[in-house]
Amino acid sequence: MADKDGAEPVTASTNNPLSRKLNKILETRLDNDKDMLEALKALSTFFTENSLRSRRNLRSDIEKRSLAINEEFLTAFQAVKEQLDSVYSDVQAMNECCLDMTSRLKAAKAKTHHLISQTTSLHHESQRLQVKEQVANAFLDKFQLKQDEMKSLRGSKDGTLHVDFFKALARVKQIHSDCKFLLRTNHQTAGLEIMESMALHQESAYERLYRWTQNQCRLVTQDTPDVSPMLCQAVEALQDRPVLLKYSLDEFGKARRSSVVRGFIDALTRGGPGGTPRPIELHSHDPLRYVGDMLAWLHQASASEKEYLQSLLKGCTASNIQMDEVLGNITEGVCTPFKVRVEQVLVSEQDPVTLYKLDNLLKFYHHTIGQIVNTEAALLSTVAEIQDLSHRMFFNSLTGHANRLLDKVELPPSDLGPTSSLTQTLQLLRDVLACHDASVVPIDDKKQDYKQILACVIDPLLQMCSMSASRLSAIDMAAYMVNCIHLMNTTLALYEFTDTRLEMLNAQTDAHVDTLISEQASYILNRVGLAQMYGAIQQHQTGQGPLSSLPGLDELAIKSAVNKFDSYLAQPDSLTLPQCSLILGVTVRETAKKRSVELVCEAYKQIFNAILDPENGYKDGKSIVPRTPDQVTHLLN
Amino acid sequence: MAAGPYNYSYIFKYIIIGDMGVGKSCLLHQFTEKKFMADCPHTIGVEFGTRIIEVASQKIKLQIWDTAGQERFRAVTRSYYRGAAGALMVYDITRRSTYNHLSSWLTDARNLTNPNTVIFLIGNKCDLDAQRDVTYEEAKQFAEENGLMFLECSAKTGENVEDAFLDTAKKIYQNIQDGSLDLNAAESGVQHKPATPRNPITTDQPPNKENCSC
Ligand SMILES: Nc1nc2c(ncn2[C@@H]2O[C@H](COP(=O)(O)OP(=O)(O)OP(=O)(O)O)[C@@H](O)[C@H]2O)c(=O)[nH]1
Ligand SMILES: [Mg+2]
Repeated sequence: MADKDGAEPVTASTNNPLSRKLNKILETRLDNDKDMLEALKALSTFFTENSLRSRRNLRSDIEKRSLAINEEFLTAFQAVKEQLDSVYSDVQAMNECCLDMTSRLKAAKAKTHHLISQTTSLHHESQRLQVKEQVANAFLDKFQLKQDEMKSLRGSKDGTLHVDFFKALARVKQIHSDCKFLLRTNHQTAGLEIMESMALHQESAYERLYRWTQNQCRLVTQDTPDVSPMLCQAVEALQDRPVLLKYSLDEFGKARRSSVVRGFIDALTRGGPGGTPRPIELHSHDPLRYVGDMLAWLHQASASEKEYLQSLLKGCTASNIQMDEVLGNITEGVCTPFKVRVEQVLVSEQDPVTLYKLDNLLKFYHHTIGQIVNTEAALLSTVAEIQDLSHRMFFNSLTGHANRLLDKVELPPSDLGPTSSLTQTLQLLRDVLACHDASVVPIDDKKQDYKQILACVIDPLLQMCSMSASRLSAIDMAAYMVNCIHLMNTTLALYEFTDTRLEMLNAQTDAHVDTLISEQASYILNRVGLAQMYGAIQQHQTGQGPLSSLPGLDELAIKSAVNKFDSYLAQPDSLTLPQCSLILGVTVRETAKKRSVELVCEAYKQIFNAILDPENGYKDGKSIVPRTPDQVTHLLN
Repeated sequence: MAAGPYNYSYIFKYIIIGDMGVGKSCLLHQFTEKKFMADCPHTIGVEFGTRIIEVASQKIKLQIWDTAGQERFRAVTRSYYRGAAGALMVYDITRRSTYNHLSSWLTDARNLTNPNTVIFLIGNKCDLDAQRDVTYEEAKQFAEENGLMFLECSAKTGENVEDAFLDTAKKIYQNIQDGSLDLNAAESGVQHKPATPRNPITTDQPPNKENCSC
């Protein structure tokens, strides 16, 4: 704008300085110039009188005022300067001080450097030592017993043990075995020493444990022993010392043994509360009940004792053999009182049936108790021994019975039936064999027993029968023997394992029946008068001439015989031998009858054929023997 | 090392009786093993099982003798009644004959045990309700008339089996508490585990005593 405005008058103003100056003044805008306004304001304060003089003096007045102001400045700055000077000196002093301190610090640092390095090395040393200490402590923890462990290991004076004993003992054992690791390292000496000391600890601890256990075991004499957890633990711990364990178990066995004996005697003599159940001995008159009760008691006691023992040994491994042995010891005490009583029963018992029942009972319990105690146990062998005795007593009594039969042989009764001693003995046999049903003896034993019993009874019986029949006629004897054997047969047929015996008896019967049959047939032929003829025909040979020429075989004689035979045919039973009708066994009797008839028929057939044979010279054979053999057979059957 | 299975304060002896095949062995097996034996052979003579139970926070060991029901073993099994604290008399609800024989079993039980023996009547095989031959009511009446405890059980399903054994034990325990069962008497069928020996005189006997009392 200024340029535009000034463009036109440029030539004029440059031409004239005054106009330039004037212009400049005119262009001045006073109200915008603050300095000018300020200066004019200050001027107005002292330039009050616009006069020449005052206008002339204005400059000097202003200069004077300026000077006064400058002086004022000077005095003011003088004070500032002085203050700064004092600050300066203070800072100077501080600087000096600092420098001094720095140098002193430097000196101190130089002096302490050694100390610091010493401290550091000591520190390292201490750390190393600490680690070592930890290692040492760990080592001690692992390889040394603590105070309280030692204490519980030592126990108290009176021999009682604390539960911690077992922990301590386990520690000792652990340390001892850990020493083996030490031996593999370069700490062999330490290892050996610790091992040795642990071994000592162990020995004395086991000794103490053993004494404690032994004492505890002595106390288990109650009916129901108190097998405490501690005791079980002790036994478990003692496994490492088999000998000590064995002694302790022996002690336990001894205590239990006397308790079992006491219990047994109590049951025998005291019975239950108020006498119910009654004492076992009260039944001593009833051998089976008496012996059975005793055996049942022993069975139950053995089972209970085995349980106690199992509870005692529950922590032990592979102790079966040992357990069986201890159980054997425990049950050994009752053997004698038991044996004495049963022996008494056996020797005073006469009845073979009772003896056999006892024998079976003992066999049964031998088996039953054998499932609890092992074969080496005295109880089992005692039962076996007694059973053996009962077995012998039974056979003795059976043999005795048989011997008495032979000592005093009865004569056969007139009906040729069995004698009373035979029937009685067979009844006895039945009773004996029946006992077996009531027992649970293995089948092999039963078979063996049966064989022996039959030999013991049947052989003497047969002998007795033969002896008693010795004075009889052959035919009476045959009938009598058939009857006797028949009775034996029917008795035995009811039982197992009698097959061979039955076979033998049947063979004997057959022999006697044969005798009877031929006797019966010849009796009939004799009675009808055909016997002679039959004999002659059998001996006759062609070339000896006709039969009719022989004496007694003429037509007349034969005719009369055949007539008699006819009347026999009408009444066949009339010619039955009395002995044959006395045969008791229906089948045997029928067989005998049938077979004798067959013989008769056979004889008739031969006679018939001979008579019809023209060579024999009978004129009218048909009229002599009108009946054909077939007709005869038909009539007789 | 805390209470092991062997820490008990009493032993109770039980006997299980009844006809053959009523399920005596199965009941015992169910009680001790919690299993059913479908094809259980006849018991020969006697067998026994044990289990520890708790009555009134007392641990009690049950020693249970299972007898053979077959007649031929009667002579043998009779010897096991003595010393039983509890007798479980079992019949089969599907076979009337086994129920009819109860009186003869009861006679044996009364004659051969001690007067305090707890007799518990069990009607077994109650799972076979369709084949039932004996009503609950008549058996209950029989039990009441004879002063017996009674339950119908099943050895197969396990129903009431636990209760029969436990109730018997509770009753025996109650008898002990009442003082009606004398623990000090021999053959009470209960054995306490006492701190002191039962009979101080006999316990002090010298060891050779055992041979001279015969
Ligand atoms: N359905 C059913 N069957 C049962 C039950 N209990 C037993 N049985 C069956 O009955 C049969 C005989 O059972 P056992 O336990 O052997 O009978 P037991 O009384 O011991 O017989 P003995 O030993 O001869 O005296 C077995 O075949 C069992 O399976 C039951 O609760 N329910
Ligand atoms: Mg059974």
